[in-house]
Amino acid sequence: MKLKFSLRSIRNTIIALVVMGLLFLSVAGYLTPFFNFSTNPIIRTQSWLTERYTAFRDFFNSPKDMATLREQNTLLQSQLAQAQGKVIEQQERLSQIQIVTGLLDFARANPEHSYLAANVIGREVSPYRQYIIIDVGSSQGVTHGMPVVTDKGLVGRIDNVISNAARVELITDANSVVNVRLQNASVEAQVRGSLMGEATLELVPQGTDVQIGDAILTSGLGGNYPPNIFVGQVLAMQSKQNTLFQSGSVQPVVDFAVVSAVMVITNFSQVDIAPLVP
Amino acid sequence: MTYFIGALSFILALMLQYGIVSQTPLLAGFADLILLVVASWGLHQRTRYFWVVILVMGAMVGAISAEPMLIPIVVYMAVYLAAIWVRERILQSPLLAMFFIVFMGTLFQHLLYMVSLFISRTAFAWREAIFNILLPSLILNMLLAIPVHALIQELARTSQTKATVI
Repeated sequence: MKLKFSLRSIRNTIIALVVMGLLFLSVAGYLTPFFNFSTNPIIRTQSWLTERYTAFRDFFNSPKDMATLREQNTLLQSQLAQAQGKVIEQQERLSQIQIVTGLLDFARANPEHSYLAANVIGREVSPYRQYIIIDVGSSQGVTHGMPVVTDKGLVGRIDNVISNAARVELITDANSVVNVRLQNASVEAQVRGSLMGEATLELVPQGTDVQIGDAILTSGLGGNYPPNIFVGQVLAMQSKQNTLFQSGSVQPVVDFAVVSAVMVITNFSQVDIAPLVP
Repeated sequence: MTYFIGALSFILALMLQYGIVSQTPLLAGFADLILLVVASWGLHQRTRYFWVVILVMGAMVGAISAEPMLIPIVVYMAVYLAAIWVRERILQSPLLAMFFIVFMGTLFQHLLYMVSLFISRTAFAWREAIFNILLPSLILNMLLAIPVHALIQELARTSQTKATVI
């Protein structure tokens, strides 16, 4: 019995010593190469197994994932489209605000006139006439002959009015004649429209020094337009020796192809000088 | 039904003309959508008093336009009557008839415009008017004639079928 006890205790002691020794070696780091050597195959095997399992799982689950991704993609695309729509809407608003701000600035800079803002709602059906249609009419106090401007300058004048709309004859119409003065040369002349919607400068006295880019303003003569409204700039001049006057082409300050909002000067009445003409 | 759809198509054409077509020029010319619609209806409708719709439409265009009021009325009535005449007597192919009517109608319309300018003593060059306004307008009208013809043909068929069923 005693021998048996002693053998067991010796065995336990040895085991304890071996365990303690291993622990000591492990803590001291002497067993790391051994651990690495022994765990590497296990890790590799585990990695291989996991990769195969993942591939296997993806093979069966990918259609579901694709469907989910497609749904998400569609959702995101619709959200993107909505966002783009909002951006376009905001840009449109910004553009309108810029137009309105420009008109307001013009109105503030020229406080001697009363203005009525209007939108351009159409253009003349005949290609031989340069007219636009605006959305204000006699109900808003618009009458025949009132000048129409934008923040940049002269557009034309009211030609015909109904209750809620009016037709505006542009200064580029073939029947339009605007009495103007050249700001730098201090001479008076006329800007006349044409069939093609171009404006020409006429009746400039010979010998007048007109430079390209000279500003052209309304003179107020004839009673059709108030004075000092910007009409355009001189683009080119022609002078023939045997004529009394020079002529030239004018770049109107307003781009009539894109004008979308205008102002009607409501406190100006056209003066009819026809009875005074001999 | 034909009168109603016809009037509706004219109002739509009028709005498109003033809002879009007149703002998309080729050189200085642009298409006349109303003329195309008039020509198409002339070729396809069979009702007796459709000319009244054309007359009212011509008067509306004449009232809005800066041209003398009589010109659109005369042009659209002439195009309509010519379309009926061509349909019944000359060409059996509707699309060819449409091209013929549009070609002649555009020339007639522009001739009247030029005569009007001449009478009102507006300074203009014939060459400029022909090459920069008339010919581009003619090309645009001929191009637009195909879709307008197809659309009005369908509208006319639909309205006349319904009228027959009723």
